[in-house]
Amino acid sequence: MTFAENLVILPIVLPLVAGAITLVLDEGRMALKAAISVGAALLLVATAVVLVRLAGESFATVYRLGGWPAPFGIVLVVDRVAAILILLTAVLGVAALVFSLARWQRAGPRFHSLVQFLLMGVNGAFLTGDLFNLFVFFEVLLAASYGLALHGSGGVRVGASLHYIVVNLAASLLFLIGASLIYGATGTLNMADLALRWHVAAAPDRALFEAGAAILGVAFLVKAGMWPLCFWLPGAYSAASAPAAALFAVLTKVGVYAVLRTGLLFAGSAEAAPSTGTPWLAYGGMATIAFGALGVLASQDMGRLASYSVLVSSGTLLAAIAIGSTPLTGAALYYLVVSTLALSALFLLVELVERGRGPGADLLAVTAEAFGAGEGEGEEVEVGTAIPAATALLGLSFAACAIMLAGLPPLAGFVGKFAMLNALLETDPVPAASWMLLALLIGSGMATIIAMARAGVRRFWASSDGRVPRVRAIELAPIVLLLGLCVTLTVGAGRLIGYLDEGARALHAPGGYVDRVLAR
Amino acid sequence: MTELVIAGAIGVLAGSGVWLLLRPRTFQVAIGIAMLSYAVNLFIFAMGRLRIGAAPIIAPGKVADAAAFADPLPQALVLTAIVIGFATTALLLVVLLAARGFSGTDHVDGREPEQ
Amino acid sequence: MISGTTALIVLLALPFGGSIAAMLLPANARNAEAWLAGSIALATLLVTLGCYDAVAQGQVLRVAAAWLPAGELDFTLRMDGYAWMFAVVVTGIGFLIVLYARYYMSAQDPVPRFYSFLLAFMGSMLGVVLSGNLIVLVFFWELTSIASFLLIGYWHHNPAARDGARMALVVTSAGGLCLLGGVLIIGHIVGSYDLDRVLAARHAIVASQLYRPALVLVLLGALTKSAQFPFHFWLPHAMSAPTPVSAYLHSAAMVKLGVFLMARLWPVLAGTDEWIAIVGTAGLVTFVFGAYVAIFQQDLKGLLAYSTISHLGLITLLLGLNSTLACVAAIFHMLNHATFKASLFMAAGIIDHQTGTRDIRRLSGLFKFMPITATLAMVAAAAMAGVPLLNGFLSKEMFFAEALHVEGPVPWADRALPYVATVAAMFSVTYSLRFIHGVFFGPDPVGLPRTPKEPPPAVRFPIELLVLVCVVVGVFPANTVGPMLRVAVGSVLGADTPTYSLAVWHGLTLPLLMSILALAGGTVLFLALRPHFARGVDGEPFLPPIDGRRVFDAVLVALSWRWARALVRLLGTRRLQPQLRWIVVLAIAAAFWPSYRLGIELGTPGTTPFDMALAIAWSVGAACALGAAWQAKFHRLAALILAGGAGLVTCVTFAWFSAPDLALTQLAVEVVTTVLLLLGLRWLPKRVPYRWTWAGARAALPGRTRDLAIAVSAGGGLAALAYAAMTRPLPDTVSKFFVERAYTEGGGTNVVNVILVDFRGFDTLGEITVLAAVAVAAYSLLRRFRPARESIEPPPQQQAQSDSIAADDARVPGVLMRGLFAPIIVFAMYLLFRGHDLPGGGFAAGIVFAIGIILQYMAGGTRWAEERLVLRPVRLMGIGIGLAAATGAGAWLFAHPFLTSHVVHVFVPLIGDVHLPSAFLFDIGVFFLVVGATSLLLIAIAHQSLRARRAEREDQ
Repeated sequence: MTFAENLVILPIVLPLVAGAITLVLDEGRMALKAAISVGAALLLVATAVVLVRLAGESFATVYRLGGWPAPFGIVLVVDRVAAILILLTAVLGVAALVFSLARWQRAGPRFHSLVQFLLMGVNGAFLTGDLFNLFVFFEVLLAASYGLALHGSGGVRVGASLHYIVVNLAASLLFLIGASLIYGATGTLNMADLALRWHVAAAPDRALFEAGAAILGVAFLVKAGMWPLCFWLPGAYSAASAPAAALFAVLTKVGVYAVLRTGLLFAGSAEAAPSTGTPWLAYGGMATIAFGALGVLASQDMGRLASYSVLVSSGTLLAAIAIGSTPLTGAALYYLVVSTLALSALFLLVELVERGRGPGADLLAVTAEAFGAGEGEGEEVEVGTAIPAATALLGLSFAACAIMLAGLPPLAGFVGKFAMLNALLETDPVPAASWMLLALLIGSGMATIIAMARAGVRRFWASSDGRVPRVRAIELAPIVLLLGLCVTLTVGAGRLIGYLDEGARALHAPGGYVDRVLAR
Repeated sequence: MTELVIAGAIGVLAGSGVWLLLRPRTFQVAIGIAMLSYAVNLFIFAMGRLRIGAAPIIAPGKVADAAAFADPLPQALVLTAIVIGFATTALLLVVLLAARGFSGTDHVDGREPEQ
Repeated sequence: MISGTTALIVLLALPFGGSIAAMLLPANARNAEAWLAGSIALATLLVTLGCYDAVAQGQVLRVAAAWLPAGELDFTLRMDGYAWMFAVVVTGIGFLIVLYARYYMSAQDPVPRFYSFLLAFMGSMLGVVLSGNLIVLVFFWELTSIASFLLIGYWHHNPAARDGARMALVVTSAGGLCLLGGVLIIGHIVGSYDLDRVLAARHAIVASQLYRPALVLVLLGALTKSAQFPFHFWLPHAMSAPTPVSAYLHSAAMVKLGVFLMARLWPVLAGTDEWIAIVGTAGLVTFVFGAYVAIFQQDLKGLLAYSTISHLGLITLLLGLNSTLACVAAIFHMLNHATFKASLFMAAGIIDHQTGTRDIRRLSGLFKFMPITATLAMVAAAAMAGVPLLNGFLSKEMFFAEALHVEGPVPWADRALPYVATVAAMFSVTYSLRFIHGVFFGPDPVGLPRTPKEPPPAVRFPIELLVLVCVVVGVFPANTVGPMLRVAVGSVLGADTPTYSLAVWHGLTLPLLMSILALAGGTVLFLALRPHFARGVDGEPFLPPIDGRRVFDAVLVALSWRWARALVRLLGTRRLQPQLRWIVVLAIAAAFWPSYRLGIELGTPGTTPFDMALAIAWSVGAACALGAAWQAKFHRLAALILAGGAGLVTCVTFAWFSAPDLALTQLAVEVVTTVLLLLGLRWLPKRVPYRWTWAGARAALPGRTRDLAIAVSAGGGLAALAYAAMTRPLPDTVSKFFVERAYTEGGGTNVVNVILVDFRGFDTLGEITVLAAVAVAAYSLLRRFRPARESIEPPPQQQAQSDSIAADDARVPGVLMRGLFAPIIVFAMYLLFRGHDLPGGGFAAGIVFAIGIILQYMAGGTRWAEERLVLRPVRLMGIGIGLAAATGAGAWLFAHPFLTSHVVHVFVPLIGDVHLPSAFLFDIGVFFLVVGATSLLLIAIAHQSLRARRAEREDQ
């Protein structure tokens, strides 16, 4: 058990411990808690970086919890894709936490614990190699996300959260049914073991297995936000507080990841894949893109605009996964990373831009109320003085987000879209579905341009009141960080895509994964 | 034969749970979720097949023969499921109270449907 | 002399670097900005000129760097003669524009933004013309759209500027996305995006059945960018940009990109009927239409804008004529138009600046106030009109010559072309005359905002230079522009470059006659129209009054507002029930499909004998379930009790089928949940008793039936699945391992518990985290929960009594419950300690402990209970998780993976040798957490009664 191997579990244990400590500290010690929380997140980033290197060198590292051999014990598996996604999550975590230092961390008790638990859940979901354990981590991240969705309270939030919670409870029950059905049919929960067992099972057992897998798929797709299972998303995301929404940007991706991982594991290792789902997934994903694009066009306030952009992004990913040649998967993963960064930045940005106007106003009211009237927070908000050139910076960041999401040059969004389109056209002859996706990608880009240009012009150019939004450097910093990463990833696109292509290849040929896990 | 009974039980619980899930009042939904989790717990449990008088409590000291006991894994899963179900039901209750407090109605959409 | 490759890199790096630098300069540093921008523009110009020798020898400068892996995309720069010519135009005119802008921009304009964007635009332009890879070309293409958006919207306090900018952005960038699509298809056909390879692959492209979509998409990009009919409308509205911008982007540089691209790809795409049909038609229509509309503009810049549209139309038409000579003429005219139109725009800017208006109706007789400017403008306008001895004349002659013998697909169109061409030329003469006469001649102007006078000579310099070029080229074409043109044309047409002569005098040819006709006719037309102009009415006669902008806005609003909204409302919902319906239905379908496909057969009825008692129990349970479903709306309490009943039967079943742990836990949870719900019920609104009416029933019927069907099929489906699974032998499961090792390696006899705390302890770790997160969430929400008005005052039963038990009737149970505390705690401890070997364990114990606490609350009331027992639930939870995690991490000390369990043997007096697995510590952590979380939830809700009272008091 080398140190490096123990690193694999750190992305789960680190936030867990940080969350526990912030629970033990009572609410007065805000500064200390914030320090612990941010510190843990930074450590998480460092760990993730090491993991990315590790996964880059070795094919996949397996961690056997309690030292029990697979398939009996629970295993964690870190490969390239998981490592990159954990790094992404960690970065979002840092951004959201730093952003929250300005005000949001005080908008309700135990904010930091919830964020830490969320990070733990997401990382666990990315790492685990056990079906039921995946369920547990889904629950962890959902439970934390409920708390964060409610963070700051207020009628709108609670209403939206109610829908969010009920829908996800239903989805979780489906998850349980699917997972247990699979166990009942195959007698194992370890994904690698399943990949081996399910297709040697007798036809009736196999029917049970596939039924279970299908139900599982529905559960995943609810979380991934595929049309028509996605109607909860715009409400919940646009109502959530900015840092929460910024973190939520990655939650849908967890669903997408689950589809990708399990789908390819079960499909890839069988000569006859349970591929009946695949075409549906493709069309569902495209429907999601269309719906999201329409929503983007139709939404007045920026919050909903951002939320619908989430749908566009996850729809794109689902469709790409379903059509799924290896290079396409690699490109899609790159797109996943950059679009998530941009969305997260946009959610943070929206709050600053809308601050003190419309929805922003009642946000302020709500938070002020949350701190209890006259707990000095009111002045605190006032103190949040206008830093020089705030408007210019905000405008620039907004433009950057718009360019990213529309897939216009010069930012990574363009590279991602191009890489996907290029991969789509590599097959010859190009199937109809690919043409459809190509058209949808370009069309959704146009929709985003129209909507973003409208929103941006209205907000930044037409706002006759010369009022500069009260913004603090500590709130701008995370946005700049995220967008800076987008720029870096534009230039360094080659390296990241190369890395992810390798990862995609591994996903598409899961034999290696299975061997590693079962130590055969 | 008892399989039939249990299957029926699962069916009834799930059916009434789904029915309640589709109702417009928050409390109905909460009860519905509770019913559904009963059904699901039974379902998970049933995946280990039914055994009578074979509780997985082994005699200390020697290696036990698995065939002699009910499948313990589904039981463990159900335990986890029960805990999580309990937690989420409690949260749902709290949220629906809060929603009721904010919106003044117990309709799931926060406002009475206009007839 | 720097090498070619470095030259290319410098050409691209300088402007963008300068753009960033310009952004960082202070807002009032007008001179510094101008110097910076000017020197950068000049430097790029010199570098470009420096490349002439290499390019003239026909060599192609290249520099490439891999961008995406596997050769998917290289960042390639490439300069041949054609690119070089455009680079000269971009940098040269760019330089003059900067000089001009220094004077033009007023003191209060924030110049850093302006110069920064301008330089960024210059960089993007160079990027497009120098790109050696189609994707890179699209990349910079879209950048120019963005830059032009920012520059048009520079004066964003002015609504016209905002709308113009938005329109330009939407039209051109949408076109750009189409271009991307087209380029991707071309790349798919050719197998590479590299320009050289694409240019070499004409046959493959034209032969492919994807040629048409590719062509259409590429042309959509080109025609939108070059403002060709029907996409022309954005250009006039872009004129609300500062004049330097109009002069640069919207006459000389950006709008030329469309025609640039069409000429660039001419060798591979042109020559087919589709090409002639689309490009030729678009060009012809735009040429005539633009010229005609330009005549009737009242705004100087508007007139110039439409004339620009018209001239771009001319170029497009030439490219669409499918003859190499026409292509030469097109390239030549790109140059000429850039020179005279840019100078005209700058002149217009000066007039605007000096007089304060651009309205031709108000301007007149400026010649005597600003003779030099007037002369310059007149020469430029003459060039625009195609007057001999000026450069405009030459390219127009070439055009006429081509128009005479063109062989297109449609014969009558070929015959008509010369006449149409002459008419359009006539129009251009007319609007040129109108420009000159309307502004510079006639009576002295009256009521101008400013009294006009000559501008400082520095600002005239750019115009003078450009006009000089017009004249020199016009007089000695062969030995001035000749070589440059030859190089450019050669690099486009390569081997099949036609022989052409750049001479002013070709003898008395038909084209010359046409020119003369056009000049004369134009003058006549102008004279004929003077009364109309005098009336000064807006709009063009004989044209339907269609405002492209209004159409665009209408379309955009309909598209992005009404339709999108309607569709979202149609395809989506904000209500909860439909969503849940979708989820359930899809789940049913998903489960049904494979079962149907592979045939799901119900196995043989199992070994277990039919048991009457169980059947009875479940008939009760089912009745409870249905009853709960029936009652949940109007009799919540009843429903709650019934649901509890169903839960109890579930417990019984667990016990029945050898799962004591489950029975125990389920029971405990049952109690707590029920108490929670009971506490919650109080805050729900009173239901008005339901009055059954026919109408109501009929209205509700369809929905109810549908839901009933869904519910029944869901239940039936799940039952079927369960039955199918149960009646089939269990495959060899991983559980075998657990049973065998539970004691020998797990150190416990209760296998379930060993699984929970050891084999799959990681699940439990996650599970308690869920509990903690949920408890925290609920707690923080309830802290600020304000109950609805009507449910604040305590219910009648409670109004009698105070918080602590006063009423006698409740005393006895109160005492009992208090008395129960100790035994319950003991029982909890018992469960905890035996958990590893017998049914029980941390979770059950924790719940039971929590029950003990609730009982105290129920017995004594919140105040009473909290006076007596202090517990800090949140902290308890923290400790619990910490303990569990620490136990897990403890394994690291022994170099084992997380959560590896260890058994230590300790000797306890009286009891003897006890083996204590570390998993037990873990279980204690679970216990703490469960106690904390559960009591936190309960207390939080229990507190509501207090807070509500408080809230009420605060309100009064």
